[in-house]
Amino acid sequence: MRPERWKYSRTGRIIIVNSMADKNEHDQPLILFNDVWKYYNDGSAGIAALRSVDFVLRKGELVAVWGPSGSGKSTLCNLAGLIDEPCRGELLFNGVPVSELTDSQRSEKRNQTIGLVFQRFNLVPVLSALENVMLPLQIRGLPYSRAQARAASVLDEVGLGGMLDNRPDKLSGGQQQRVAIARALVNNPLLIVADEPTANLDTENAEKIISLMKKTGRSRNATFLFSTHDERLLSHVKRRVRLQDGSITQDETHRDQ
Amino acid sequence: MIAWIKIAVRNILKNSRRSLYTIAAIALGFAAINIFGGFTNYIFHTIQTNQIYLQGEGHLVVFKGGYLEEGRIDPHKFLISREELETIEGILYDLPEVVLVSPQLRVSGLISNGLVSTVFVGHGVAPSHVEFTQGRARGILATFKLYEGRKLQDDISYGVGLSSGLSHILDLREGDQAMAMTTTVDGMMNALDMEVFQTFEAPLEALNDKMLRVSLDFAQSLYDTDSVAQVSVLLADDEDTLSVQKRITDSLPAAGLDMEVVNWMDYAPDYHKVRNMLNIIFLFIFVIVFIIIIMSIINTISMTIMERTREIGTLRALGLKRFGVIRLFAIESALLGIAGSVSGLFVSAASCWLVNAMEITWIPPQFSMPIPLEINLVPAYLSLTFAFMLILSIFSAVLPARKAANKSIVDALGHV
Repeated sequence: MRPERWKYSRTGRIIIVNSMADKNEHDQPLILFNDVWKYYNDGSAGIAALRSVDFVLRKGELVAVWGPSGSGKSTLCNLAGLIDEPCRGELLFNGVPVSELTDSQRSEKRNQTIGLVFQRFNLVPVLSALENVMLPLQIRGLPYSRAQARAASVLDEVGLGGMLDNRPDKLSGGQQQRVAIARALVNNPLLIVADEPTANLDTENAEKIISLMKKTGRSRNATFLFSTHDERLLSHVKRRVRLQDGSITQDETHRDQ
Repeated sequence: MIAWIKIAVRNILKNSRRSLYTIAAIALGFAAINIFGGFTNYIFHTIQTNQIYLQGEGHLVVFKGGYLEEGRIDPHKFLISREELETIEGILYDLPEVVLVSPQLRVSGLISNGLVSTVFVGHGVAPSHVEFTQGRARGILATFKLYEGRKLQDDISYGVGLSSGLSHILDLREGDQAMAMTTTVDGMMNALDMEVFQTFEAPLEALNDKMLRVSLDFAQSLYDTDSVAQVSVLLADDEDTLSVQKRITDSLPAAGLDMEVVNWMDYAPDYHKVRNMLNIIFLFIFVIVFIIIIMSIINTISMTIMERTREIGTLRALGLKRFGVIRLFAIESALLGIAGSVSGLFVSAASCWLVNAMEITWIPPQFSMPIPLEINLVPAYLSLTFAFMLILSIFSAVLPARKAANKSIVDALGHV
C-alpha cells in the first residue's frame, strides 16, 4: 500500500507523517512506530523481539497483527499500549514522543486514552464484575457513584447486565473476557489494544468476542489493534499486519469487513 | 480509596490463615509491650504510694542546707529550729496545693528490753500526721494493714511501734515495756521508757531488725530539743510535685532560710535505679517485639505481592501509578496492624484482669513484706502502642511494595 503523505526518516526509511502545514488533527496518526527495535535480555545475548519496525495506526482503524508464535505480536501490542518502551527508534502516541513522558504521565495516558484487553483476562479475583470495570474510573478519580453507574451501563452493553455482582471465579472464560472488554471501554479510550484476546477461548466464543470488540469499538469511534495467531479471526478486520521474526512482512488493507 | 480498601480487606480475608498469624504476632507484641508497661507502671506506682503515703514522707522534704551531704555524720548540726520551722510552715501553708506540713525527727540509739540491747533507728512523726497521710493512699496498697496492734497516738507519746525483726530480737510484743537510750543534741546521755503499741514490717528489709516508729514528741524528748531534722510536705495532687518544689525552692531563700527541697523521686531509696533498670528491660522487650513484627509483616506482604504480581501488573497497565501500588499494600498492612492492635488490646485487658483477679502477692527486692502483684492498663501506653503498631505496619509494607511497584509491567503481567 502506497502511503499518502510521507517523508524520509533519519534512517532513510519511508514513514507517514503530518505535514507541517496540515492543521487537521484527524489526519495525525494515533500510533507511529519509526524504526523501532525492542530487545529482551536472554542471559548472555539479547533477543530482538522487534526489528526496525515502521508502523502507523490511524484513528478509527481496526487492525489485526498476526503471525506465528514469537513473531513479536505481543511486543508490538505492549509498545502500542504504552506498557513498554522501545530500545531504539521512535514511538509517538497521538503526536507525542513516548520517550518524553515520565512513568506517571504514561500511566495517566494509559488510564485515560487506552483500553487494554489481555489474553488471560487479568481480572482482579476479589472484585466483582462491576467493581473490576469500575477500576479504571476509580484510578482516574471519578466519584464512586458515577463510576458505578457508568460501569453498570458498559457491562449491560456487553451483555452482562445480570452478572454485576459475580466474581471472576463465577464467570465463564467468555464472560470474563466480556468483563475485560467492558473494563477496556469504560473510559471511552482513543485506542483499544487487545493482545491475543481469544487465545483462551473456544472458536465460537472467540468469534463472538471479536465481533463484540468490533461493534463496541465502532460505536465509540475507537481505534482497535488486536493480535492473534488464529488466521480465522482475520476475516473480521480490514487491515492485517503480518509479523515474522520481529519484522513486518505484510501490511494489507482488504475490502470492508 | 474505597476500591483499595475493598481490595485490601478482601485479600486479607482470602488469605485468612496467613493474615491470622500476622494479626496474632502483632496482638502478642502489643500485649507484651502493654503488659510489661503495665507492670512497670504498677512498680512505679507502688514505690510512689509507699514513699509518699504509706511511709509518710510526703511529696517533698525540706532539709537544712547541707544535710543530705553531711547530715549523716553530724545530724545535730543540721537541725531546723522552732523559729525556722514556723517560718517554713507559714510559707508552705500559703501554697494552695499543700494539704499537710509534717515536721519530723530521725533518732537513733540503743533499745533495751531490760536484758539485752540493740541499736535502733527511729522516725519521729506526729501519729495524726501519719494517719492522715496514709489515709490519702489510693489503690490496693491503701487497703493493706500496715501494722499489728494499736495505732500510735499524739497524746500518748511513750507508745511506740517496733519493726517485726526488732520485736523478734528483743522478744517484745504489744503491751511490753522497753527503754530507748541515746545522746541528746548537747551530748548528754538520755533514756526514756516506752510501751510497745504495735509491730510493723519495715519498708526495707535491711531496716526490719532495727526500726522504731515514735511520735515527734517522744523523739524530741529523747534528743532534748524542740528542733526537727526535716519537714515533709504533702500535696493534694501528685502531678504538682515538681512545680511546687520549684516554688518552695525559690521562696525559702527569700525568707532568709538556707534549705534544700527534695522531691520523693530523688529521696526514695534506689527509685531512679529501679526505674532505669525497668526502662532498659522494657527497651529490650520493645526491640525484640519490633523485630518480630517487622519480619512477620514483611514476610506476609512479600508473599502476598508475589502471589499478586500479575494483578499488580494489570493495575499498572490500567493506569495505577507506582505510588498507588505502594498505597494498596500499605493499606492492607495498616489494616493488619489495626486488627492486630485491637486484638492485642483485648489480650492485654484479659491478661491484666486475670493477674489482678488471682490476687498474687510477692516480695520485691529489698522489701520485707509481701505486696499484691498487679498490672495496670495505662491508656497512654495503649494509645502510643496502637499508633506505633500502625506506623510500623505501614512502614514494613513499603519496602516490598516499592519493589513490586518498580517492576516492569510486562514482566509482572507475564508472571505465573
